[in-house]
Amino acid sequence: MNTVELNKIRKCYDEFVAVDDLSLVIRPGEVYGLLGPNGAGKTSTLRMMIGITMPDSGSVSMFGEPLRRAHTQRLGYLPEERGLYKKMKVLDQLVFLGELKGLSARDATERSQQWCERLGLKDWTGKKVEELSKGMQQKAQFIGAVVHDPQFVVMDEPFSGLDPSSALVLKDAFLELKNAGKTLLFSTHRMDTAERLCDSICLINHGRAVLEGDLGKIRAGYGKRNVQIKYEGDSQFLKDPKLVQSSNDYGNYVEVRLAAGADPQDLLQAAASHARVNKFELMEPSLEEIFIEAVGKANA
Amino acid sequence: MRNTSLRNTWLVIKREYLERVRQRSFIVLTLLLPAIMIGAFAIPAKLSSMKNTKMQRLVVVTSTPQFGEIVRQQLVAGSKPDHESAAANKDKDKDAEDEDNPGRDYAIEVDSSATEAERTALRDRVNSGDIDGFLWLTDDAVAARKVTYYGRQSGGGGFMENSWLKDQLDRAILLQELAQRGVSRAQVEQLLKPVKLETMRLEGGRETKANDKGMFFAVFAMVMLLYTAVIFYGVSVMRAVLEEKNSRVMEVLLSSATSTELMAGKLIGVGAVGLTQIAIWIAMAATYALPALAASASTGEIHIAPLTLAAFALFFLLGYLLFSSIYAAIGAVITSEQEGQQMQFIIILPLIISVFMMGPVMHAPDSPVAVWTSMVPFFSPVLMYLRIAVQPPPVWQIALSLALLVGTIAGILVLCARIYRIGILMYGKRPTLPEILKWLKYA
Repeated sequence: MNTVELNKIRKCYDEFVAVDDLSLVIRPGEVYGLLGPNGAGKTSTLRMMIGITMPDSGSVSMFGEPLRRAHTQRLGYLPEERGLYKKMKVLDQLVFLGELKGLSARDATERSQQWCERLGLKDWTGKKVEELSKGMQQKAQFIGAVVHDPQFVVMDEPFSGLDPSSALVLKDAFLELKNAGKTLLFSTHRMDTAERLCDSICLINHGRAVLEGDLGKIRAGYGKRNVQIKYEGDSQFLKDPKLVQSSNDYGNYVEVRLAAGADPQDLLQAAASHARVNKFELMEPSLEEIFIEAVGKANA
Repeated sequence: MRNTSLRNTWLVIKREYLERVRQRSFIVLTLLLPAIMIGAFAIPAKLSSMKNTKMQRLVVVTSTPQFGEIVRQQLVAGSKPDHESAAANKDKDKDAEDEDNPGRDYAIEVDSSATEAERTALRDRVNSGDIDGFLWLTDDAVAARKVTYYGRQSGGGGFMENSWLKDQLDRAILLQELAQRGVSRAQVEQLLKPVKLETMRLEGGRETKANDKGMFFAVFAMVMLLYTAVIFYGVSVMRAVLEEKNSRVMEVLLSSATSTELMAGKLIGVGAVGLTQIAIWIAMAATYALPALAASASTGEIHIAPLTLAAFALFFLLGYLLFSSIYAAIGAVITSEQEGQQMQFIIILPLIISVFMMGPVMHAPDSPVAVWTSMVPFFSPVLMYLRIAVQPPPVWQIALSLALLVGTIAGILVLCARIYRIGILMYGKRPTLPEILKWLKYA
C-alpha cells in the first residue's frame, strides 16, 4: 500500500498550466524529494496532494484510498510560506493546530510541550509568536506540522531561509521522524540537499515529471559516464567527439562527460598519450547533471 | 466526516472568540463606549435639569389687581407638573401640553401700578438681578393682545418656556374675559378641558399603550446599533481574514480544515464576540444608564413589544450574517486594509440607503415604497425591522422578506465561500472584478 499515488493530475490557472499530467508514487517509510526549479509546479503539486486544492483532472490517492477529509488528520504540512498567528501565544497556537488535527486538548497540550522541550522552545511557550526570533518561529511551525504524530509529513522547501544551526536541528528532527517509520516528502530546488536525504525523487519542470523513482536506480540508469581527470600537459584529448560529449574545467580538475558508447578505457589511453594523468576516476552523475540532461531531453 | 466539520468549525469559533475577548482592546472598548455614551447623553441632560430647578421671579404688571391675581394663579398652577391630571383624573400619563412644562417654580409678584415710572423701576430691578423679568399686561396691552415680556433672557427660559408662557397668558386672558361675561370659573375650566389623545397599539389581538416618542427612541437606537455593529464587526471579520492571509497562517489551517469551515467559524466567532459585547453593554445600561436616561429624557416609559425585540434579534443576526460574509470575501480578495476601505462601499451603500429610507418608512409604513424596499434583502434588516416595530405588517410580507433575506444570505455565503477559498491562497496583486467572476465559475 503506497502512501501517496498521484495519477496524471493536472492544474491550470487561467491559461497557465501549473501541473501537467503528473504521476508519482511515494512508498511508506521513504524520504521523497520533489525537485525542480522555482516555478516548476512543486507547491501546486503539494497542495493538490494534501487536498488544499483540487486537481482539474487526474486522481490523488493516499494510504491506498482516494484522498478524503479523514486523511488530513494523518498528515502534517509545513507550507513554504511560514505562518502563525502573530498575537497568539506559542503553546495556545500549537494546541489549536493539534486539535484541528483531531487531538484532544489534553494530548495536544502534552505533545506540544514535549516537542517544545526537544527543540529548545520550552521557555517560550507562553510568549506571543511575534516575540520569537525567526529561527524559533520556524521551529514552532515545524512542531505545528508534526504535533499530531502524522504518518506522512509534507514539507515545502523546509530548509529555505534557515540559518545553519536551525537547519541542522530541523534535519535531525527530520531524520528522527524517518527512523520512527514516518513517510516524508519535501520539495526543494537545491539538488545537493535532495541528494543527501532522499530515497526517491521526482524531478519536475514546467509542471511535468521529468524523472521519477528510486534515486539509486535513476543514477544507475544514467551509468557511470562521468570521469574526473587530473592531468598535466596537452588537453587535446578532450576535443575528440568520439570519446567526449562535453567537458567542464574546474581548475583543479576537469569533469568529462563520455560520448554515447565510448569506453572510459579509450579515454584513459588517449589522455595518457597526450598528458601526464594524476587522477582518473569514474563517477556517478550528480543529480544536477541528471536534471539538466533530463530537462534538455524533455525540451528537445 | 460531518463531526469533523462541526468540530473544526467549533475549534475555529473558540479560538476566534477567546483570542478576541482576551485582547486588551476588547476590554477597553467594552468599558469605554458606555462611558462615552453616558457622557454624551447624561451630562447635558443633567446640566439642563440643574438649570431648571432655579426659581423664576417675575412681576406681573396689570391695570387691576384682580386680573393680576388670575395671571399669578395661572402661572403658578401651570408650572406644577400635574395640575390638570390631578384635577381631572388619576392617570399619570402626560399629554402634549404638559411636556412643554418648564418644570420649575415661579414666584409671582402682582403690581397694579402700570405707569412709565414703574416700568423704569422694574427695568432697574431686572438689571440689578432682583427679579428675573416682568410682564407688561395692562388692559390696553391685553385688548391689543400685545403683551411684552422684559427679562435678561428672552422668555425667561428659551424657546420651550416661551411658548409655555404664551399658553398660560392666553388662558389667563380667556378666563378674565369670560369672567367679565358672567361665566363661572368652574364652567370655564370645563370648557377649556383639553382633549387627551391616547394611542393604543393593536398587536396580535392584544392592545398595548403606545408611546410614540419612546418607541421612536428605542427603534432608532436599535437601528443605529444594528448599523454600527454590522460595520464594526464586519470590518473585524475582514481584518481577521486579511491577517490570516498576510501572515500565511491560512495554508496551515487549510491542511486541516476546509475553507467553508474556516469562514463559518470566523463569522460565528466574531459574531459571538459582538453579541458578548452588546450583552455586556445592555447589562450595564440596564443597571446604570437606562434609569438615568429615561429620567432625564423624560420620555416616559419606553415600551418595547416582545415582537419588536424578537424581530430585532432576528434581523440583527441575519443582517450581520449577510454583510459580514461579504466582508469575509472582501478580506480574502484584498491584500491590504487600504484596499479594503475602497471596497467597503459595496456594504456601506445599502446600509446608508436603508438609513435614509427610515424617515419615509416610519412616516408611512404601508406605502408601496415602504413595502417593497423592506423586501429587498440588503435593506430589509433595517427597514423590515423598522416596519415591525412601528406597525406590524401583514405576516405574508414579513415571511416574504425573511425568505428573500435568508435565500440571499445562502447564495451570498456560497459565492463568498468560493471567493474566499480561492482568494485566501492568492498573494500579491489584487484581482480585478472580471478575475473574481472567473473564480466564481471555476470554484
